[in-house]
Amino acid sequence: MHTLADAPTDGRTWSDLDDFQAFIDAGGMVEPGDDMPDEFRSEVFRFIEFHANSELMGGLTERDWIPHAPGLRLKQIFLAKTQDEIGHAHLLYMVAADMGVKTRTEMLEQLFDGRSRFHNVFHYKAVTWADQVAIAFLVDAAAFASQRAVFAECTYGPYKRVLKRIVAEEGFHMRHGEEMLLRLATGTDTQRVMFQDALTRWWWPAVHLFGPDSPSGDTDPLIRWKIKSQRNEVLRQAYVQKYVPLLHGYGFDIPDNELHQDADGLWQAGSIDWEPLKATMRNGGPDSARRIATAAGNWADTAWVREALEQ
Amino acid sequence: MSALSSVPVESLVRLVTDAVASVHDPEYPDVSIADLGLVESITVSESGDVAAIGLIPTFSGCPALDMIATDVEAAVLALTEVQQCTVEWLPGPVWTNERLTDRARTTLADEFTVVLRRKDGGLRCPICGSDAVVDQSLAGPTRCRSVAWCDSCRNPVEVMR
Repeated sequence: MHTLADAPTDGRTWSDLDDFQAFIDAGGMVEPGDDMPDEFRSEVFRFIEFHANSELMGGLTERDWIPHAPGLRLKQIFLAKTQDEIGHAHLLYMVAADMGVKTRTEMLEQLFDGRSRFHNVFHYKAVTWADQVAIAFLVDAAAFASQRAVFAECTYGPYKRVLKRIVAEEGFHMRHGEEMLLRLATGTDTQRVMFQDALTRWWWPAVHLFGPDSPSGDTDPLIRWKIKSQRNEVLRQAYVQKYVPLLHGYGFDIPDNELHQDADGLWQAGSIDWEPLKATMRNGGPDSARRIATAAGNWADTAWVREALEQ
Repeated sequence: MSALSSVPVESLVRLVTDAVASVHDPEYPDVSIADLGLVESITVSESGDVAAIGLIPTFSGCPALDMIATDVEAAVLALTEVQQCTVEWLPGPVWTNERLTDRARTTLADEFTVVLRRKDGGLRCPICGSDAVVDQSLAGPTRCRSVAWCDSCRNPVEVMR
């Protein structure tokens, strides 16, 4: 039986990109010791670095809300989620650093200098507790769908092995999100209004998370090399399909005037304004500067720990 | 409440045990909580329709406890023979990784690349079989795991504590 723990065959080489593509198309899995094409190395590295940065910035947000979570049980859940996200970032940074493009310290310093990228959803401000619920219910679900689609293929062995555990844990977070949403949705009018306001703030960032349509045909190298198994627009459409009826079912409004069901009964989002996404990718989102500065402050404040560990 | 069926209590205990074992850990979707060693006691009343399940947590701060208890209750109540079910997290005995069954160890290693420390303190890489596994951090993504690195196949390896 093929398992994720199959011993990798190291040190393979390919004569050119076509030869490498044939290996990928035949179901091949690339391992760290392989002489992978530079293009593959740099694309996969960038993708994992982005994922690692996003887990770290997401974990810092979860942490900020531990004191504000209502009740001991939810505090415990937020503590655990924070540990999950930071732990995921750690594993991903290990895999990324091993690819030899940047060291872990370089990745972190560039992130804290505002010279790196992370998921758009971590560039917005969470205003009330309901925002955290909307993030857990909507954003975690979007991230989960996107990660699961990477795990489904994922031709870089170490990344796929880490993703297995990440996807399992994110699935667990989603159940917490559903539980928290249910509490607000069946709560007082004030709670419902709080959630509606949060939904209005977070719907579009969640939809944006999947990114604009993938480049046409097979021109997206991440799809061609089977890092991503699905095109962005396919994942986005599946998400809209699932979450519109769920949110309507709880009696909430989705902030999209053009949202409608087509002749086949499929929900179609209105035209999407991608400018807010582009702004976050330049670290120019509504809360980017504060978040990056806070993370940089943490990094500076904990320098003594790193120094002590090096003694 | 009267006994609903003529099923003997021993058979009911077996049914309830199977139902409990059908619950998987939320963070390891392929691993049964029975194989993780979380199930400490299962009793069924003489009347046959009340089940009491005693579980022990891997770590007391584990965020999955409520979810696991809810899943266990639902699985047991899905049995038509059982009318009531209580699930309790017991204060003892303390969970250790010796409670993991071989099946759990195999799945954790093969599917999740999570291993247990050997008696001699060493670690064997679940991916390439090398002993060149170096501890990296006591804190992993969950309370029950730490993080190591295999210098041989260059993969992160997680260690069940």
